[in-house]
Amino acid sequence: MNWLQILVEELAARGVPGRARHRIVLELRDHIACEPGCEERLGDPGALAGTFADELASARSRRSATNAFVALAVTALALAISLLTLGRIGYPGLNHGLTPALFWPALVGMFLAPQVALLSGTLAALRAVRRRGAIVLPAAELALIARRTRIALAAGLGTGAGMELYVLNFSQRLPSWWLGLTGGLGLATGGALICAWRSLDGAVRLRSSTPGPAGNIFDDLPVLRWRWLRARPWRLGVLAALLAGVTMAAFEAHAEHSLAEGVQRGIVEGLAAALGLAVLGRAIGVVTSPELLGGRPRDSVFALESGSGSLRVGDDDRLAAERVVRDGFARGQISLDELSERVSAIHAAKTLTQLRATLTDLL
Amino acid sequence: MRPDACNGQLDSLILATVADEPAHGYAILQRLQQRSSGAFELAEGTLYPALHRLERDALLTSSWSTDSKRRRRIYDVTPAGRAALRKRRREWRRFSIAVEAVLG
Repeated sequence: MNWLQILVEELAARGVPGRARHRIVLELRDHIACEPGCEERLGDPGALAGTFADELASARSRRSATNAFVALAVTALALAISLLTLGRIGYPGLNHGLTPALFWPALVGMFLAPQVALLSGTLAALRAVRRRGAIVLPAAELALIARRTRIALAAGLGTGAGMELYVLNFSQRLPSWWLGLTGGLGLATGGALICAWRSLDGAVRLRSSTPGPAGNIFDDLPVLRWRWLRARPWRLGVLAALLAGVTMAAFEAHAEHSLAEGVQRGIVEGLAAALGLAVLGRAIGVVTSPELLGGRPRDSVFALESGSGSLRVGDDDRLAAERVVRDGFARGQISLDELSERVSAIHAAKTLTQLRATLTDLL
Repeated sequence: MRPDACNGQLDSLILATVADEPAHGYAILQRLQQRSSGAFELAEGTLYPALHRLERDALLTSSWSTDSKRRRRIYDVTPAGRAALRKRRREWRRFSIAVEAVLG
């Protein structure tokens, strides 16, 4: 096999789409034709294919997260229009629909799914925006963005489905103009969300091989970087559930003119938020460390940023630090000489303070 | 000069090279080497991911040329690319003045 054939195979193996692959090969074929025998100077075809795939995967993942956020914003707008107009007509009671078997899934779709979509979609978009300057993102980080985006889109589709079920359930009770409006909005949001899902599909087909940590919610929201929260991420879940419950209680107590009604709905909201975070927390990056050792997660940047500076470091810590400096080199933040110096310093480090000193301008 | 000397500056060097006249990949590389008197010994393959990246960022635009016998992708700088180049030039001058002041 010649250099170009190897490149084609490597690009295909890394999931680079056919159109992009075709263009890359044509350009490099032209390059080789300009100066026959220059293949060696073009470098290793596998490494070159890896660079294309890594960069494309990073760009497409960021774009898919942004597309999903836009589609979810459209969904939120559609839901708001539907609920505001319904509020003017007057909410029909539970018993006035066709069947509770339609009502309850509709309620979950219209009130709980949007909250999951909002949280997960915002976190995905936030990570995409925060890392917009990075040429290449670690594979683990791309997987996190994809998971957040997928969950958000699934919840968004659940919202659209909830609107359709609500329309169906109250089709004999509510005015036809509202049924048409909400049904149409539900379908339109479904279309926008499916387009965003296709964009995500294109991004996840690319196989990135860049090492590095995925990071977690504390990297996305520096305002949460209190040590007592970072050390025990479940505390963040409890705090968020409490906040959601209190907000819902206050809103409903005001809307329904009943404190008891508000408290009741607030408790339901708080429990639902806690359950949602317990189920989806790891997937959306609220918790990232499966290996909690002595309260200090290992093999992550978090491990290097938390804990007392006099603590002795282990191989996991050194490995995590080395990934950070290698990422810095890949992004052009440090030169090859600096990389070599820092890697030596990392392997010589005995305490967290010494290890952190090698990363001060990279984290 | 060290092979990694243009680390982090490759995008600026490409923009500056293409800003004068639209060119295809091999011609861009040739111009880069001529202008730097062969100082930058970058792996030639790294040029193409950089070109694609700059195009994704809307700093370059490209199209297939029908002039030559082979299909050839010709790159040109967009208005956003020219603005980015002006900004990078200013930043580089400030940086080089500061380094020179320290190194003497």
